Amino acid sequence: MRDRAARRLPGFVLAVPAWLWLTVFFVVPFLQVAWFSFGEKPGMFGTHSNAVMSLDRYAEAFSPTFFTIFRATLWMSVLGTVACLLVALPAAYFMALKVPAHRRGLLVALVMVPYWTSFLIRTIGWKVILSSEGALAGFMTDVGLVGDPHDLLNTRGAVLLGLIYNYLPLMILPLYVAFDRVDNALGEASKDLGAGRVRTFFQVTLPLARPGIIAGVVLVFIPMMGDYVTPAVLGGAKGTMVGSLIASQFLTAQNWALGSAMAVVLILLTMVVVVLAIALLWGVGWLVHRRTELVVGTVPPPDPRLPTKEVVTA
Amino acid sequence: MTTKATPDPPSGSVTIKGLTKTYGQATAVDGLDLEIRPGEFISLLGPSGCGKTTTLRMIAGFEKPDSGSIMIGGKDVVRLAPYQRDVNTVFQAYALFPHKSVAENVAYGLQQRKTPRAEIRERVVEALRMVRMLDFADRSPTQLSGGQQQRVALARALVNRPGVLLLDEPLGALDRQLREEMQLELKLLQSRLGITFVFVTHDQGEALAMSDRIAIMRAGRIEQLADADTVYNQPASAYVAGFVGQQNFLQGEVSADGTTVETPIVVVEGPAKPDGRPGEPHQAAIRPELISIEPGTVAEGLNTVAGEVLQVSPLGEVIQYLVKVTDETSLLIRRPAHGAVRLSPGDQVLCGWAAEDVRLFPLDTPPDPTTARSPQ
Amino acid sequence: MNKPADKNGNVRILASHAGARAIRQELSRRHFLSLAALVGAGAALSACGTGDGGSSSAAEPGGGATGGPVEKALSIYTWGDYDAPEVIEAFGKTGPKVTLDSYGSNEELISKLVAAKGTSGYDIVVPTGVYIPQLIENDVIVKFNKDLIPNIAKVDPQFLGQDWDPENDYSVCKDWGTTGFVYDTTVIKRDLKTWDDFIDAMQKEASGKTSLLDDPQGVAGLYFWANDIDWNTEDMADYDAFEAEAVEKWAPHIAAFDSYPSTGAMQENTFALMQNWNGDARLGILEHKQPDRWKWVLPGPTTELWMDNWCIPAGAPHPEAAHAFIDFVLEPENSFKEMDYIGYHTGTLGIEEMAKERKVELPEMIFFTEEQLATMKNGAVNKAQDRRTEVYDKLKAAASA
Repeated sequence: MRDRAARRLPGFVLAVPAWLWLTVFFVVPFLQVAWFSFGEKPGMFGTHSNAVMSLDRYAEAFSPTFFTIFRATLWMSVLGTVACLLVALPAAYFMALKVPAHRRGLLVALVMVPYWTSFLIRTIGWKVILSSEGALAGFMTDVGLVGDPHDLLNTRGAVLLGLIYNYLPLMILPLYVAFDRVDNALGEASKDLGAGRVRTFFQVTLPLARPGIIAGVVLVFIPMMGDYVTPAVLGGAKGTMVGSLIASQFLTAQNWALGSAMAVVLILLTMVVVVLAIALLWGVGWLVHRRTELVVGTVPPPDPRLPTKEVVTA
Repeated sequence: MTTKATPDPPSGSVTIKGLTKTYGQATAVDGLDLEIRPGEFISLLGPSGCGKTTTLRMIAGFEKPDSGSIMIGGKDVVRLAPYQRDVNTVFQAYALFPHKSVAENVAYGLQQRKTPRAEIRERVVEALRMVRMLDFADRSPTQLSGGQQQRVALARALVNRPGVLLLDEPLGALDRQLREEMQLELKLLQSRLGITFVFVTHDQGEALAMSDRIAIMRAGRIEQLADADTVYNQPASAYVAGFVGQQNFLQGEVSADGTTVETPIVVVEGPAKPDGRPGEPHQAAIRPELISIEPGTVAEGLNTVAGEVLQVSPLGEVIQYLVKVTDETSLLIRRPAHGAVRLSPGDQVLCGWAAEDVRLFPLDTPPDPTTARSPQ
Repeated sequence: MNKPADKNGNVRILASHAGARAIRQELSRRHFLSLAALVGAGAALSACGTGDGGSSSAAEPGGGATGGPVEKALSIYTWGDYDAPEVIEAFGKTGPKVTLDSYGSNEELISKLVAAKGTSGYDIVVPTGVYIPQLIENDVIVKFNKDLIPNIAKVDPQFLGQDWDPENDYSVCKDWGTTGFVYDTTVIKRDLKTWDDFIDAMQKEASGKTSLLDDPQGVAGLYFWANDIDWNTEDMADYDAFEAEAVEKWAPHIAAFDSYPSTGAMQENTFALMQNWNGDARLGILEHKQPDRWKWVLPGPTTELWMDNWCIPAGAPHPEAAHAFIDFVLEPENSFKEMDYIGYHTGTLGIEEMAKERKVELPEMIFFTEEQLATMKNGAVNKAQDRRTEVYDKLKAAASA
């Protein structure tokens, strides 16, 4: 009897812990931030008040300063995501399809091990490497790649490097899983049917890995948009990202209402960008697919009075 | 019309010489020679690990041989990529592209060869009609049953009009009834199209049912290459005898006068003298359907043993008996159901066979444990 | 004379020498926590509105401390790496088990205390003086039981009775410091003396190698001090002028906004000109492999004076231990150890003489003359705060472009 009762539990029960988690740690804090964003800073010593509700904070949030920094943040995140994708695609492909199965675990571990180190320590590691006294700066100055050893650290390039380095594993892993799931025989079938390696990759492997690519892009892009540590450590004055702007409202101006409004704008804009990016990826996929699309529809049966044409003429 | 270069005859022939492939310590294919005639249906038959799939994959171009040559249609292909060879493959698990429709799967090969759109459509429709899958053209292959996927895989390969079609255990995943239907269909298709089929299987029944010739493989070499009848009735070795059809093996040694094989239960006389000196170990193989069975208790003379019926299994047109001769040895016997003597477990019986139905083999290499079928 | 870096020996890091130093510096001296500040704000946000309306002890003077037995524990919420470990250890030997927790900005501290409404669990906090009125107004700190802190008498009266707490009912000086700058004499060959010189050098020799404090008030101060304007001005026209100059003239030359440049980036010679607090500048110069290369300037015409203060938050679970600790740390011998460790003047009577006697290095960066003190002025939390933050954000945006 107990068995049958258990079996009758609806399937969504399995999702309850996940929903609870999301509600408590994501939905509720987000709603609270959204609620603050309609309020105001009540006085010099207050942080927030919802006594007067208005959209004024949004008017303040849409400042040229915000958009200048948002544009820079977006640009860095897009560049960083694209670079991660370009680095991760061949790496994941190699790991999943070119390495004997018993070595793959080792490679996955090698990708993950640096990720177990504190995010901050990893980033500071780059600070040491890029510093004007570091070996890299000396080498690059000597061979004339940079004019001044100070040109490496505290630049946009340093931030980009840090972003790519910090988030690359989050791109490699979903791609690796996606490539790993593509049956080897499909690649052989494609080659058997006349496609070379490159066409096989673009016509078979890549389309089948598309869910992994989308997962990787989302996993990398969204945290990059909100990253605050990497630019602070490696970018100096050039590394101000929108996260530090929001932080200054909460922590320096103590204007939680304005900070919340900025946070809401950031979340919404990031969502718009992500949706656009996914639409773009699907669009590219659709365009590629359209080139090979073939819809047969209903074909009338062959006229029995005519002699049947042999399909394959020897 | 074919975009693949049509070489001089014999198109569709495959000539393999001294083909060798090793993986680390293990030799998968060991100096294999094989001549495949144009338009024939040839099966590579053997247990797993005998090198049959490796051979097929080397013909297809997925594996590079360590040494040896492969000529397809008179052209050396060892250095060519798969798509440069006049072959197409039907894969074991079909390997249909899940992100393309059935029609797009079939069109894939033609698209790679830049065939004009209108012609692609025409040929895809013909190919799908040929395998009776036209009504499913716009579905996703993931929505199809195993048998349907099998047909699509066949159409996808045949639409390219290859000189040779390679089939890698293509029926392995189907249930028995469907498998038998597909065997028939494949055979019909092959004789209609006249394309060379190279069919890899571990199922001897499948090989016997379809093939013009069967190459029985063992440890990377061909043990016997012959038509079904020869392979069945005149196996070249105990290994072949045991792998194709069922056999009763009786082990003993060559008698003192060198004319018979003396086993612990019976003295066996064959159609000829055993090929060995007196006292050498030897074995005799007798097919179950060639052994007679009748009530009786005392065995007299050569090729006759007495035993007790252990089991009677009516299999439709035949009845199968298991007869215990000693504690260690039993015989498997099959007789036509029509006109058989009624026997039940416990009955004392006499079993016998004609000398010309016996195959004698030296016991220099013991029968492979995976292939020798002890009657049970 | 121990170098402070050696005293950090309890932080063991497996890395190259340079790497370990950079990591340790990031992890210490307020810096690490400022990076983690967002996390702190998040915690404060989620705690907000769930408090139970304040602890009953909030109104009681001394948080209920009457000189009874000292509790078994003490929890101090302060700036990162801000106290001499030997002093903390020595106090621990008298009974209470001391735990330290740290924050990166006054605002972070305030957010947490306000949100917790007396349930933070901390016994001692160390806010900067100008924030004390806000803390008093929000009832998040309580009056001392001054009978339990007799050592207040050993503090130089000069550093008592500040504007924010004239009777020292709520707070007493932990230490104080000022803002000046440090420059690399191999890059800037001339003598810099004033904030004007700083701004000039920033746009010339030190372009792209200059760091400003990561603090809106400090950056605004740079302009107002240089132009001899009251840096607590609430006249918005002053801020318009500040914005125009900072965004248009300064922005392209700024390499970083960094509140701890000397102990951090300066060790790799990353910057040539750094706006800096005196304690950080002093430690940075002492730690550098070529200390002579760097020059410290306390610039005119005016500059900042800031003071961090011992306070007891409302609802402190161990008020007796809190009072005992404050009294302990005001004892001149302990106060000296604190000064020696962090490099800031602790305000204790006679400490300068002790320092001279014991040959503390670079005493001129800890102790200042009467004339110098006259040029230093406290900041204020006032109506201009929003505007200051706005200009600061604009400057950051312009500098990152």
